[in-house]
Amino acid sequence: MNKEKVLKRAFEIIPGGLSWGIILSLIFLSVVYPIASAILIITFDFYWIIRTVYLTTLLIMAHHRLSREKNKDWLESCFNLPKEKDWSRLYQLVIFPVYNEGPEVTRPSLAALKATHYPKEKIIVVMAFENRNKHARENALILEKEFSSEFGAYLSTFHPDGLPGESRTKGANSSWAAKAAKEYIDGRKIAYENVLISCFDADTCVEPEYFGCLSYHFLTSDKPHQASYQPMPVYNNNIWQAPSFARLVEISGSFCQLIESMRLEKFVTFSSHSMSFKTLVEIDYWPVDMISDDSVIYWKGYLHYNGDYRVVPLYITVSMDVAYSNNIWRTTVVQYKQKRRWAWGVENFAFVATGFLKNRDIPLTKKLRRLFHLLDSHVTWAVWAVILVLIGPLPILFGGAFFSSMSIAYNLPKITGLLFNFTLLTSITWIFLSWAILPPRPKGISWFKNIILVLEWAFVPFLIIVLGSIPALDAQTRLMFARYMEFNPTLKGNKVL
Amino acid sequence: MLAFQKVRSFLFYLSLILFFGGLPFILFFALGYKFDPATFKLVRTGLIYVKTQPGGASIYLNNKLIPDKSPASIQELIPGVYKLKLELAQHYPWNGEVSVDAGKVSRLDKVILFTLTPDLEQLNQEKFSSFYLDAESGLIYYLNRKNDIVYRSNLEGSNFEDIASLPEDFSDIKEWGVSPDKTKLFIFSPRQIAVILFEGADNYGYSDSPVFLDYQRERIIQVYWHSDSYHLVVITNKHIGVIESRTGAVAVSLVDLNEENTASYYDNKHDILYFSDSQKSADGTIYNNLYRLKLNTDLYLLERLMKIKPSELLPSGGDTVRKEVPGE
Repeated sequence: MNKEKVLKRAFEIIPGGLSWGIILSLIFLSVVYPIASAILIITFDFYWIIRTVYLTTLLIMAHHRLSREKNKDWLESCFNLPKEKDWSRLYQLVIFPVYNEGPEVTRPSLAALKATHYPKEKIIVVMAFENRNKHARENALILEKEFSSEFGAYLSTFHPDGLPGESRTKGANSSWAAKAAKEYIDGRKIAYENVLISCFDADTCVEPEYFGCLSYHFLTSDKPHQASYQPMPVYNNNIWQAPSFARLVEISGSFCQLIESMRLEKFVTFSSHSMSFKTLVEIDYWPVDMISDDSVIYWKGYLHYNGDYRVVPLYITVSMDVAYSNNIWRTTVVQYKQKRRWAWGVENFAFVATGFLKNRDIPLTKKLRRLFHLLDSHVTWAVWAVILVLIGPLPILFGGAFFSSMSIAYNLPKITGLLFNFTLLTSITWIFLSWAILPPRPKGISWFKNIILVLEWAFVPFLIIVLGSIPALDAQTRLMFARYMEFNPTLKGNKVL
Repeated sequence: MLAFQKVRSFLFYLSLILFFGGLPFILFFALGYKFDPATFKLVRTGLIYVKTQPGGASIYLNNKLIPDKSPASIQELIPGVYKLKLELAQHYPWNGEVSVDAGKVSRLDKVILFTLTPDLEQLNQEKFSSFYLDAESGLIYYLNRKNDIVYRSNLEGSNFEDIASLPEDFSDIKEWGVSPDKTKLFIFSPRQIAVILFEGADNYGYSDSPVFLDYQRERIIQVYWHSDSYHLVVITNKHIGVIESRTGAVAVSLVDLNEENTASYYDNKHDILYFSDSQKSADGTIYNNLYRLKLNTDLYLLERLMKIKPSELLPSGGDTVRKEVPGE
């Protein structure tokens, strides 16, 4: 194994090693030195409540901004820009990577694209199918018949299976499709800097003003080619039909993205996103052998531009499907696998760390700060619920008579209980905001569902463990032992499959 | 966006200040530290946790009423001894002294405040000499010495029924016991045991009732029912033995005793007898030893032994088991 591979393996082990180290150390301390463990738990609890309040405040701010901007007439704003910022030169290249999703999933996405206010002749659609899906060509024909005449250009691509150096990932398919689109763009002699590319999940439905919003931000940004543009993902397509806990998990996911949009120095692309086509070509497209292509593309840009690359938040939503199945157990499995795939983004740490070692132009402090942020977010994801829910009571359980006689043994449950109650207050804010983010209740859905929407928050302690920490620990442990995951598309429940 | 980022920066630094500013206070509080304004020093305190049964008692600490009612914790107490009084209307108060140590909890969580008017109920108005309560079956057995009748009731003291008559000429009853199968009882005096079958009980194996078992040369100290409700374990001033509860049964002496008034306990569930006896060692020291005699697995052996003539069993005063003496 060469030096680079050894370093990469070491960086792959660090996040999981750190997460397990924290958990096992606290368990060990709870048994042999419960007082130290209790002090650490109280410290963590206090840190967590401060962090929760801080993040909830950011969520309120982001939510406020989203409410203010999501219905804005962005094209009108584009019209009002100075002449040198001519939006009409911009083409919108939209790629939908499709694997096993049928027309019932992709049709609403294309219909939403068709309903956008952006001039359709400036929209180039690429439906990127996987050749290994035996229904790919049949599905492509169905969609072509319905939508090919609706846009400036409509391409169907079929990504061959097993190309050298590729894994079965969404990024490989997207890159193949982007290269096919490049041929089309070259053929039409369209300048790359005039093309904005959006890579959307197959079930992504955009708002009518999406491309107006994207164009406006692109034209008004400083160094617009050195940025990715991140809309706010919501899971509204089938949210009223989805089971309670699946809905809750996805709402929490949307909220996390909203919070991240306020922390620009840490903001990384996630799921459906847009960027300059020129930049995409320059940084050699999405990675073809990594699952977390949506975030790695940002890091590729960051490394390529020596740290001068950022994510611009777009306060406009793109709506996707809540992942669920036809019973609670299968839904839990579907959700678990999706969250584990998201948590597989921990592979970014090794990618970024090895990239930083090669790059001499990014300042060391900047490198360390970004690596710390990455490590912090993944390790916190894996351990926080375990510490709060499972390790918290351990000093009392294992402390024995001596620990029980100490003031701290008496104060530990009191303080943690108080802090938890405080967290409940922030939960009320989250409940209120989750209500505000919902689409109107469709006909045929009982008003009683509104009450369920509130009551379902009682699942939170269960969810933070089962669909929070455990999938993250699972992903980190797999990466530690080099058991690399393959892309496994989520079962989407627009129509229950 | 700039304005949002400014607010966010402010919130971030505010959170940092809150965390690092608040954490020492929380940890000091958790560990029991208190700032003493008089000395400008941190003092490590202790606390008293009070829980009473029933709850809601007023708490006086060094004769001063505190606002909390039990269960409560009285925190930030300088180490020392405190007078504590717990008061609840219509209950006897609890008084005591509690020692408080630095960083520790003094727990008073087993305080029961008894009512001034006890929850007393007269179940019946009967004349009896003694009673035996079988909680498992929910029955109370009564022995009336005046008219020599045994009767029983339920736990409410009602639904009486006569179940047996005591032999008229049986005097000086020391104790009595109902068999585990609840079909008979024994009574014993220093020289005799009588087994009386309850009325209506299955009298299989009992052609006579009462059955008299005589111990003319020994003084009976204690009698227990074996779990088979047929054998009796008898402790006399000389032996520990077993005897069937039938007319003409011969006792099997299992252990010789040195002490006349041995103390004993019979584990009826496992048929194990625990007893004490004294023994003199070679150097003249007297030891009081505790013994365990298992009677469960040896029952078959006992039945076999019953068939041997008493003279074969007790050739010279029944010295059947010799207990070893430490040091011998």
